[in-house]
Amino acid sequence: MLMNDVDANSLHVHYSPTAKYSVGWRHEYLRGPEAHADTLALNYLAKRWNMPAAQANLYIKSGLGVAYDGDNTDPAAYTGLATDWENRRFFTSYENRLFWADDTDKFIKHKARVGVAPYEGDYGDVHTWVMLQADYDAGQDDSFSLTPLVRLFKGPDLFEAGYNLDKGILLNYVHRF
Amino acid sequence: MRKFILTLTALGFLYAPAYAKTPTETITQDIIVKVNGLVCDFCARALEKVFSKREEVNGIHVDLDTHQVSIDLKEGSDIPDEDIKNMINDSGYNVREIIRD
Repeated sequence: MLMNDVDANSLHVHYSPTAKYSVGWRHEYLRGPEAHADTLALNYLAKRWNMPAAQANLYIKSGLGVAYDGDNTDPAAYTGLATDWENRRFFTSYENRLFWADDTDKFIKHKARVGVAPYEGDYGDVHTWVMLQADYDAGQDDSFSLTPLVRLFKGPDLFEAGYNLDKGILLNYVHRF
Repeated sequence: MRKFILTLTALGFLYAPAYAKTPTETITQDIIVKVNGLVCDFCARALEKVFSKREEVNGIHVDLDTHQVSIDLKEGSDIPDEDIKNMINDSGYNVREIIRD
């Protein structure tokens, strides 16, 4: 998984032994402090609601590792909750992330999305979602921003592209092996 | 003329078996599983991975409109309902009903 926005670039490689959890490595470049962080990441599906025509999820996402810039290396850790609900036509999600790396960086971020599918594709088709993402950074002056984006996926590949109205490009890619 | 007819007859005997050959078809038994939570193509890829590990399975078809998974079994093969439920659960979904042909 590759994720890029105005605040960070990150690479995630995960393995899911079961549908309940995944474990992997997350590398991120934090643009603000110009620092890198490498963490052992654990995502846990705390609860899933499987309904006849919808699904909702609650995840706990945590990681432990190190953060470093040219001068310092600090222990790093993060945790947060992520929840979503979707059916074939509508999508909504919210997640937060508390990140701590001592002097290198600390933040609490919130992200919410709403989305709609302009058409309902069949299994194997290219699927399209139009979404609006809202970000709130509890520690920043310009703490709230909006990013309209488009999500496309086909088979095991998912791609997202958007433009943050204040700051810049959002570009994400996920491949399921 | 006689040679022409004999030649045609010989060619007929030569190629007739190819046309008369019945295409071999694998007779498969479809099992239809009604599944809760089946709304996302990207997420449903997990079903293919789980079912592909079973040698009894030719393949599956996921229908997001009807929220159903159709299982094509190899000739002479079967999978118990309990195994199907476990595989669907392992993929992150719940079984509502299993329908056999």
